[in-house]
Amino acid sequence: MILTSLNVSPAEFAEGTGWESKPEGMCKGDACVPAPEAVTDDGQVSVREAADRLRLPLVSDEAHGVHALGPESGGRALSSAVAPDIELPDVDGNPFRLSLLHGRKVLLVAWASW
Amino acid sequence: MWQELHAELEAEGLTVVTVALDFDPEQSRTWIDQAAPTHPSLVDSEHRLDELLGITNVPMAVWIDEAGTIVRPAESATIRTSALRSMPLDDFPENIKNVLTEAQKIPDHSDEYRAAILDWAAHGSESRFSLSPDVVVARSQPRPMEHAKAAAAFALGTHLFTTVGKDAAMPWWRQAHELHPENWTYKRQAWTLESTPEGQPYDLLQEVGDTYGTSWYEDVVALGGGGSYGVEPRL
Repeated sequence: MILTSLNVSPAEFAEGTGWESKPEGMCKGDACVPAPEAVTDDGQVSVREAADRLRLPLVSDEAHGVHALGPESGGRALSSAVAPDIELPDVDGNPFRLSLLHGRKVLLVAWASW
Repeated sequence: MWQELHAELEAEGLTVVTVALDFDPEQSRTWIDQAAPTHPSLVDSEHRLDELLGITNVPMAVWIDEAGTIVRPAESATIRTSALRSMPLDDFPENIKNVLTEAQKIPDHSDEYRAAILDWAAHGSESRFSLSPDVVVARSQPRPMEHAKAAAAFALGTHLFTTVGKDAAMPWWRQAHELHPENWTYKRQAWTLESTPEGQPYDLLQEVGDTYGTSWYEDVVALGGGGSYGVEPRL
């Protein structure tokens, strides 16, 4: 998730990371992590605090005023076997959503021209 | 290659989806036009599949069943033995010979991997190659903080590349490579911007450049040689 501010709305944070702000803490699926410092008095998510609690790496390019928040660390690349509903464009920019292939087996192959 | 497999298995209920990890979709287009795919052929210019699925090199594949459950995590995926493997190398210049010598050591499971896909297409969850959710998670790539941070650094570099330019991006791409050298999608992609004139097809030799100070060959040797390159499928 790319950020230009380290305070974002809970909706933006959930959109970028999948972690939702709930009364019991920051939650994703069945998992909830208590994170009282992650939500500021005016209801914004403090990205620095949330990143710390959720073990998400935060890197900042001060010169350009831009930050990136990475994926959860400490486990495996997959936290569950449920395939993420990835949406990507074709070479002409037309979007395609993986869930359109529900009901079929999918062999997803990553390649590159390099 | 993937198009042929798709055509062969489409009636059995399997769809191939190819995803090009390329900053510039135009670099992918030549290859896509040549393959003339009838399956979904997508472009992931931000390498989101690295973060989402643990892709660390190409070609790698993930198997997803009819219910949207991953039944094999990201692993090296080839279905045809490359002609490079049996090519005599004596007449090549030293630098190219070194690269090809290591490339020839990369383990080749093309025949077994292709047979495994056919078995899965025919038998679904009864196939011994279809793994349980616990095994899928356990066999997916490890993600210590350094690797997660590498993903963030690569994403930041890629964002700066498109908004500011290459010079702003390079320090972050270099950091991504240093934090997670086994993820070849970072370095191999960024390298191309160094040695390829704008508008030209990518230079694939990946020699020493200003960004990394090492070549593909040196990095492969440092990580144990071609024999330990990539994520071998455990079939």
